[in-house]
Amino acid sequence: MVRDYNNRHALDQKLRGTPKPANADHLEVGHWQAIATVLASVGLEAAVERALSSTPDLSLRYCGPGEWLVVSGVDTPLGLMRRLDMLCGTQAHVVDQSDGRVLMRLSGPSARQILAKGIGVDLHPSAFALGGSTNVLCGHIAVNLSRIGEDVFELIVSRSFAESLFEDLMTMGRPFDLSAAFSD
Amino acid sequence: MTAYRLSSGGLLDRSKVLSFTFDGRPLRGFAGDTLASALLANDQLLVGRSFKYHRPRGIVSAGPSEPNALMTLGSGARSDPNTKATVAELYAGLTAKSQNRWPSLGFDVGAVNGLLSPFLGAGFYYKTFMWPRQLWEMLYEPVIRRAAGLGRAVLERDPESYEKSWAFCDLLIVGGGPAGLMAALTAGRAGLRVILADEDFRLGGSLLGETETIDGSPAPAFAERVVAELLSLDNVTLLPRTTVFGWYDDNVFGAVERVQKHVAEPSATLPTERVWRIAAKRALLATGAEERPLVFGGNDCPGVMMASAIGTYAQRYGVSAGKSVAIFTSGSSGYRTARGLVARGVTVSTIVDSRPEATEAAPDGVRVIRSGAIVDTKGRKRLSGIVIERSGFEELIACDALGMSGGWSPVIHLACQRGARPVWSEDLKAFSAPDVGGGLRVVGSANGVYTLSGCLRDGAEKATTIAVELGFNAAEASLPVIENEAEPSFAALWYVPGAKSKAFVDFQNDVHARDLGLALREGFGHVEHAKRYTTSGMATDQGKLSNVNAVGILAGMRGVSPAEVGTTTFRPFYTPVSFGALAGTSRDGHATPTRKSPLHEWARKNGATFVDSGLWFRSAWFPRAGEKTWRESVDREVLNVRANVGLCDVATLGKIEVFGADAAEFLNRLYCNPMLKLPVGKARYGLMLREDGFVFDDGTVSRLAEDQFFVTTTTAMAGAVMSHMDYCAQVLWPDLKVRFCSVSDQWAQMAIAGPKARDVLQQLIDEDISEAVFPFLAARSMVLRGGINARLFRISFSGELAFELAVPAGYGEAVAEQIMEAGRAHGICAYGVEALNVLRLEKGHLTHAEFDGRVTPDDAGLGRMVSAQKPDFIGKHLSARYGLTAADRMQLVGLKPVDRDKDMRAGAHLLKEGMKPSTLNDQGWVSSAGYSPVLGHHIALAFLKSGRERYGEKIVVWDKLRDHEMIAEVCDPAFVDPENKKLKA
Repeated sequence: MVRDYNNRHALDQKLRGTPKPANADHLEVGHWQAIATVLASVGLEAAVERALSSTPDLSLRYCGPGEWLVVSGVDTPLGLMRRLDMLCGTQAHVVDQSDGRVLMRLSGPSARQILAKGIGVDLHPSAFALGGSTNVLCGHIAVNLSRIGEDVFELIVSRSFAESLFEDLMTMGRPFDLSAAFSD
Repeated sequence: MTAYRLSSGGLLDRSKVLSFTFDGRPLRGFAGDTLASALLANDQLLVGRSFKYHRPRGIVSAGPSEPNALMTLGSGARSDPNTKATVAELYAGLTAKSQNRWPSLGFDVGAVNGLLSPFLGAGFYYKTFMWPRQLWEMLYEPVIRRAAGLGRAVLERDPESYEKSWAFCDLLIVGGGPAGLMAALTAGRAGLRVILADEDFRLGGSLLGETETIDGSPAPAFAERVVAELLSLDNVTLLPRTTVFGWYDDNVFGAVERVQKHVAEPSATLPTERVWRIAAKRALLATGAEERPLVFGGNDCPGVMMASAIGTYAQRYGVSAGKSVAIFTSGSSGYRTARGLVARGVTVSTIVDSRPEATEAAPDGVRVIRSGAIVDTKGRKRLSGIVIERSGFEELIACDALGMSGGWSPVIHLACQRGARPVWSEDLKAFSAPDVGGGLRVVGSANGVYTLSGCLRDGAEKATTIAVELGFNAAEASLPVIENEAEPSFAALWYVPGAKSKAFVDFQNDVHARDLGLALREGFGHVEHAKRYTTSGMATDQGKLSNVNAVGILAGMRGVSPAEVGTTTFRPFYTPVSFGALAGTSRDGHATPTRKSPLHEWARKNGATFVDSGLWFRSAWFPRAGEKTWRESVDREVLNVRANVGLCDVATLGKIEVFGADAAEFLNRLYCNPMLKLPVGKARYGLMLREDGFVFDDGTVSRLAEDQFFVTTTTAMAGAVMSHMDYCAQVLWPDLKVRFCSVSDQWAQMAIAGPKARDVLQQLIDEDISEAVFPFLAARSMVLRGGINARLFRISFSGELAFELAVPAGYGEAVAEQIMEAGRAHGICAYGVEALNVLRLEKGHLTHAEFDGRVTPDDAGLGRMVSAQKPDFIGKHLSARYGLTAADRMQLVGLKPVDRDKDMRAGAHLLKEGMKPSTLNDQGWVSSAGYSPVLGHHIALAFLKSGRERYGEKIVVWDKLRDHEMIAEVCDPAFVDPENKKLKA
């Protein structure tokens, strides 16, 4: 009995179907991405951070002292695990979260205004600069928020909460005609 | 006609006529009107009935302090009771209804209370309806509440939508009057992130009703210029129609924005109201000052208004409150208002000045009566005249509007919401704001600066100071030149003696001066007591107009300074905020998030009935055609698992991965049973205690590698266990080399249970999972055919031969489907949490129904798990307390009904036969109960005093909630397969 297994995205039911054109404010849900938690061994936090941040194609999201979510748009989940294991060796523990997290990218001129409805963190560029990331609550839901552009933010949320967060974001974006789709 | 629209002037768009109705009567106003100004322009003086005596009442103010003009706006589910007409922006199609009257505003039956008023003094209800005591709750209070009260809440579902938003700024300015605008301009030009909030729909505050000229142009034009510049600055956010209602810790302010309360057809995409939480590095309170009413006989007659309100209606709204206006003043403001009115063409007949000497000049042709006092008013639903008394000489003067000007009180509520008390200022004859530190400063009239030039300067200077504090370069502001400036001064006049009729202190609560005297006589002279005794300063306006006079009168009665009387406590909200706005979007399905399992779609396709379980949405049972009740489905699922095999979603369990050289030591200290020597490739049941020795949570610990563990928790305690571990690692044992993270959402975990479980599962896996190779409690990573990375655990909650299989969440559905297909020949079924619960109950396995925080391991029959060898673990020391080791503690037992048809439910208590139910006679309680399809009767788990010694004893199961009593036999809690033969098959 051998078969190919389908991987179902947490928002499959919400977003499957003909893609609608993206509006100025748009929520793009990552369909395929590799995400891993990296936990630096005690005392080796700085070394691990150096190793990770000097690697191309990897985006580092701060989660706490010595803890990051590493996002890759080019690796498979398994590939990312291998790459991180090689990179960190015994300096860190690496955990695959590709299936456990959902990545949403909110972009557009109203992105900050939309997020301000759920997130109690100052998102002004002077306070939350490009490349910054942090664990925050969006309404009732814990997310990792990062700024990857002037008006572009990424939210990483636990899979079981993804549908609720998605609905909340769409409600928050309603006055701005927020659109949503899977990434290509 | 008395009140009327002036032929020109006012900040109105007279080309935009707005039709509206009041109590069904069609009326017209202009764009720029408030409901109150439009009503006045239509000579609708009578707008409501008072709370207690149902006296006719008219509009008093032109702003948020309004005590009388409370109306219900809109209709049906969209109606808004207790809306102040003085702040409600007029729109086309608005429908307003007066309140507190029956059958009509003009003829109100409740007015009979006015005739009974000699008997209805403060405290009347409490004194009269004292006994019989039980009637208070049953009869008196409901009847009194129905007769009193303000407005009526609507019970229909609120169709409006609401939202909340955070905002951050360097400087929040509360109030858009002269001081606020000047501060915003100064800070905005300096580059600060500024938010300016004002409750009015038009920014400008007192500038909109001023008669002075600023830099040669009228005050409203100046305001318009400043607003235009502020709008051009990117770093300035203007929030009109926004009331800052509260000041909270960390300089966070609460504000409510009326986004579309003023539109006839609200947009579906916008909220009706928006609550702002504004985190401000600095804040300026530029809320201005409130003119005080005067307390004299008949001062509540419709037509008696605040003098400044009459001025505002004339200047801003182009409405004259009457054909012949009189002013009663204790200071210069009354003269200033009179001058403004005369300039607008309003006839002012008389100024009654309480002071013997005054230097102010009255406008030409206006009679001034010095040392005068009004002791009564004439007219019932409309003022027709005032009675003036001077040294015993009474004179009746005809007039149809009277302005009261009793001096000014700074509006300082926000500054006093966090415990600091207002400070009495003898200079200002008012309570002023306390020093609450640099986070919140008071500016302009709110700071006791009453001249226009002074307000502008104060605003500019304080904004400059703040800019410098925050590291900005602030240019010296050039201040505009003011002409015809008046310097207000007044004499404190709390009470006008000689009243010939009721002299009201608090209009909204019908409190008159004599009520305060009664309160003092009866020992309620403390300002907080007097408030409760008389209700002065309660209800929707919270005494914005009345409080200072009440304090002054109490001070006069007690013969002390107002400083000694003090004020009542200021609390949020400054003005009422609707519950809808406070709830925001957190209603219905959005009240809490819903968590969905990665197997949700699989369960749905298999026809699951779902149940809310905490935040989770879990499959409860899987009904099949022909099954009429949930019990039929659950019984079938249980029997099928016992006979064949079933698949159950257990993905909701908490899952934590633990790493590090000290990971084993860390877990060894967390759990009460040993974990140090758990072999790689093995799982173990683990029990965590709290420090106090009671069970905290249970779960499994699997060792995947020497320094890597996989821990599961119960669904309910997943978050709590994670926090507990964080606390232990960071605070208790920071020296341990351990790291961990939650992988709860990464893995779709499913239980495959039943005698045929292995046969089904083996079809998906190449590796041998036979009893010899993969025995009970084996735990290992493996790869499914097709290349899916999985983890397999030989653990069982049902007591059957069982596996738990974890696959990456996205593959959960596909793998579950594959297992169902592989199991079809073996009679596999999907089973839900109900069957899961019955299976564990039959086996005597425990959940948080048993571990309710009062249970020790020994109580639960797990005493042997507690390691005596380990040097330490959480809960070890307090477990040895006498109370936790006493022999008569309640211990876990099973219960079987003696009469097999009888059922039991959780929550019932246990009694010895023949004993009366009482706390003393209580023998224990039922923690879980259900029907066992295997045994064919109900079973229960219970905690019974010294229960393990009492197997075979008959005991009464007493369930008062359902009025149910039956006899059960005490037995071993493992009802099915106590020898664990099936488990290890």
